[in-house]
Amino acid sequence: MSYSKFIARLVTQHRARVWIGVFLIAGVSLYILITRLTLDTEVLNLLPAKFESVQGLKVYNNDFAQTRELTFALSCQPNDVDRLEEFAPIFAQRLREQPWSTRVLAGSPMESPEAIKDLQGLAVPLLLNLEPQAFSDTLAILQPEKLQARLARLHHEIEAGSPRPEFELQLDPLGVVAPALKPFSGNAALEQDQPLTSADRTMRVFLAVTNQPSISAFDCQALMKKVNAFRAGASAGWEGAGPLEVLVTGRSAYVAEISLSMRHDITVTLLGSIFLVGGVFFVGFRRWLPLVGMGFSLLLCCLVALAAGLLIFHELNMVTIGMCAILIGLGVDFAILIFGRYQQARNEGAEHAPAIEAAVAKLGRAIFFGALTTAVGFMALLLANSGGFTQLGVLIAIGILVAALFMTSVFFLFTREHSRPPRNDWILAVVRLYVRRTLRTPGLILWIALPILVILFALALLPQLPLIFDASTRSMEPKSSAAGYALAKIMGKMPTRWEPVLAVVRAPNEEQLHEYWQKIENRWRSLEKTGAIKSFSTPAALALSPRRMAANRQRLRTIDFDAARRALEEAIAREGFSRESFAAGFTLLDQLEAVARGTMPVPDWRKALPPSSSWWFLVDRYFAADPLLTVGFVTTNKPVETHDQKEMLMRELPVDGVPMTLSGWSFTLTDLIPWSHRQLILISTLMAFFDGFLLALLYRDWRLWLIQIATLALAIGAMIATMKLAHIPLNLLNVLAFRLVLAIGVDYGIYVLLVWQRAREIEHDVAGVLKPVLLAGLTAIAGFGSLGLANNPTLSGLGIACAIGLAWSLFATIFFTLPAAAIAEPMSIEARKLLAGT
Amino acid sequence: MMISRFALLASFVLIALSGLQAEPLAPPDVKALLDRVRAKRAGAPQVQADFQEEKTVHLMNKPISSTGKVWFQKPDKFRREVTGNSPSVTVSDGKQLWIYYPKFKSAEHYSLGKHSPLDAGIAALTAALNLENVENSYHITGGKLENGYELQLAPRNPSLKRLLKTFNIQMNSDLQVERTEMVQPNGDHIVTNYSKESRAPIEPSTFEFTPPAGTDVTTPLGR
Repeated sequence: MSYSKFIARLVTQHRARVWIGVFLIAGVSLYILITRLTLDTEVLNLLPAKFESVQGLKVYNNDFAQTRELTFALSCQPNDVDRLEEFAPIFAQRLREQPWSTRVLAGSPMESPEAIKDLQGLAVPLLLNLEPQAFSDTLAILQPEKLQARLARLHHEIEAGSPRPEFELQLDPLGVVAPALKPFSGNAALEQDQPLTSADRTMRVFLAVTNQPSISAFDCQALMKKVNAFRAGASAGWEGAGPLEVLVTGRSAYVAEISLSMRHDITVTLLGSIFLVGGVFFVGFRRWLPLVGMGFSLLLCCLVALAAGLLIFHELNMVTIGMCAILIGLGVDFAILIFGRYQQARNEGAEHAPAIEAAVAKLGRAIFFGALTTAVGFMALLLANSGGFTQLGVLIAIGILVAALFMTSVFFLFTREHSRPPRNDWILAVVRLYVRRTLRTPGLILWIALPILVILFALALLPQLPLIFDASTRSMEPKSSAAGYALAKIMGKMPTRWEPVLAVVRAPNEEQLHEYWQKIENRWRSLEKTGAIKSFSTPAALALSPRRMAANRQRLRTIDFDAARRALEEAIAREGFSRESFAAGFTLLDQLEAVARGTMPVPDWRKALPPSSSWWFLVDRYFAADPLLTVGFVTTNKPVETHDQKEMLMRELPVDGVPMTLSGWSFTLTDLIPWSHRQLILISTLMAFFDGFLLALLYRDWRLWLIQIATLALAIGAMIATMKLAHIPLNLLNVLAFRLVLAIGVDYGIYVLLVWQRAREIEHDVAGVLKPVLLAGLTAIAGFGSLGLANNPTLSGLGIACAIGLAWSLFATIFFTLPAAAIAEPMSIEARKLLAGT
Repeated sequence: MMISRFALLASFVLIALSGLQAEPLAPPDVKALLDRVRAKRAGAPQVQADFQEEKTVHLMNKPISSTGKVWFQKPDKFRREVTGNSPSVTVSDGKQLWIYYPKFKSAEHYSLGKHSPLDAGIAALTAALNLENVENSYHITGGKLENGYELQLAPRNPSLKRLLKTFNIQMNSDLQVERTEMVQPNGDHIVTNYSKESRAPIEPSTFEFTPPAGTDVTTPLGR
């Protein structure tokens, strides 16, 4: 028994069994989904894992505290700057009082007495970590005559009105804290690297670390709900003449927005797809039940594909949302084709079961090959070496093969024996008219369509008209993103510096970490001197050496602390200083003595800093939660944009024997852009070769093969030209559109040419397939076009690019493939009829 | 960046006169007084005078006294030389500030014009010496003294408020500043008496400073 006969009998005579089978499949798939569903929300998993820069970016994004940092900004009118200055501390205090806020940085830590006290707490370990010579020089300050000379100088400076003594005595009454902090201070100039007030004073920035339990989408949404509630009332008490804008940005703000916009995207695109696809289907066939059947079968395909994906990959990336949309776009074609052929058979008087058999027999092969080309095309995504795209490729491949199976079987459960197609089918009539004209005067159609396609193809190749490639992070932000708006506004007001290159260094122990950063500092300092890099900052000052600290502790024992105390007391009295001003100095002397004698351990600087200390903002910049995982920053002379710059940095920045991962978004893009270009060319080329091979096997006719290849080339060319002319940019995701258009577009040609090749009544048979192809094309265009409604620009970009490509594929199939085939294989209608025996 | 560093700078830049009991002036009279001061100084945008200063600072047990000479030229150039056992020279050309200690052969260098509290301190100094646009930065009240006038300046903006609590200027009947008195939020108190005011032209080089060879130059506020 043939497959078509088997299916026809199954769906007409054993409907209950088929339904049971369907429910079983759906039940098992749902069970797998419910019990095993784990979503991978890491955007970076969409990028190819083979690049070290991508790995570095993932480490930096996941392990460093900046992931829990929110940036708030207050923005006012120029005439309200004084009001803003008065209001800023009130806002900062409100921010500190929020239950979700762990600590807040509202200005330089040096402005706060608490932060200065915190800094004194770091003095002992940092002092003991000084290099031997610097340690000796610093200890020499404790010699009685030097203590006296220093206080005399300070007295003199106070008389002169210098601001220095006040600061010096506040931070370092003894004179040893500043030298101890010197290596640290190079990196502590937060204000210079990251100013918190704009030059025109109309904007103040506040950094807040939150206590959100994780950086998952749900936790980010929960946090941002509270943050937005806070924002709503945060400007209470503002007395400026103009409004005060309270802005917030940061990873959590973005994740919350993106995840919420996904929900919006799913709803809008799904409703859009249902409305548009359903509308086209109904206009074409004027039947509701098959439309429900199509939706049901597609849903089943998605369920099976997702369940299979979970079994294979154990978790699903968020890009699989795109999978469902793509699968629907592809699967709809099969349903329309098979139903179109079924209806045609019914129109010609066939009964229900024979019409099913005829539809499957006539189009089963074309659908199978269509599904196969698409599946293989998407399996090519495995070559991208990206977790997200690998999943996408495999899931679509599984889904599309399942769709081919279900559309030629399950779908027929939604067709009825008593349901006759409408007698008056105007679409079919128009299509028949067009096919008749094409068969009579194919040259005329071709001479109209071909120049359009060729001109567009030439435009696509024209290098003077570039195709925009937008790889910026902005290209992945949701449209009208509040977090994006806040970031853009802050960047606009603040002196913009380009993003530094990150150097992630992990060490097995503290001593090794210290050695690594010492070596790196030496290397980078020489690069800075030669001008190879502009500047750098590292955690070297806080990467302490246990060995050096032990040695310095021994040397500390040689200090006569009693003499130092006496000398300090005498100098204070002689110069007329208040003893209170030196209280912290006496405490430090006591601590140093206790450490030297061994009655007190060397304080752990991490424990010395209270959790609310502003200095954590600096520490967290360099250290991950794991203190042996660190990052240094290199500012280049120009923004990193080219592969040559990246190569130079890869050559110069690493140090022998130090495991270092260089990264940063700009740096990573220098890997990703050539990668995505390569992917575009390599995978599309491989796919084109595969398609070419498959088509040759399918047609075994070089003329039809050539026509099909030319159709694909012209359609892709027209797609590129349209994108160029309409300034529609490519981004890291919508480069996928090319292989999608190839995968779907080739199917249109296959359906038409296979029928052409085997048609007995050419006008009847070709019109019979061209109408479903037209409807399938229109539904696919509508389906992908509805993705354009998505907030996510990558998703909407993908939808728009695919809609454009499919529109041109359909155009090329109807107005080029068909007339070209008629010219290439000019079998007369009479000859065909003769062949058909009619 | 380091606001607290500037707390004492205020004591350096703000030179105070002690307040006496004064008969209050109505706001229009204060405005008229300021207009008269400006009109008088319009022809000679520079001033030089001797000063005697007494500072009571929380870091010291006893007040510190010093004497010297000050030069000022609109809008923001000044020089201040302290004589005696602890000599020092402070010079600003409006863009940078130098404090030189000849005894130690050392100098401090500060950059101005970065909207820092240091600029606020310098603005306070210029307010005392030229009273131009002073209404923009201070709430001003005034009084008539037996032989002159008194102006009480209360800072308007937060950056000045951090440096200055009250600032009184006493002028004689010729509208010459005789005494200023400044109280800082931390309780520091500076009283300065001026004498021998002159509006003779001042050499431009007065407001320039190049550290002598061998001077140890530091930049306490960094870049």
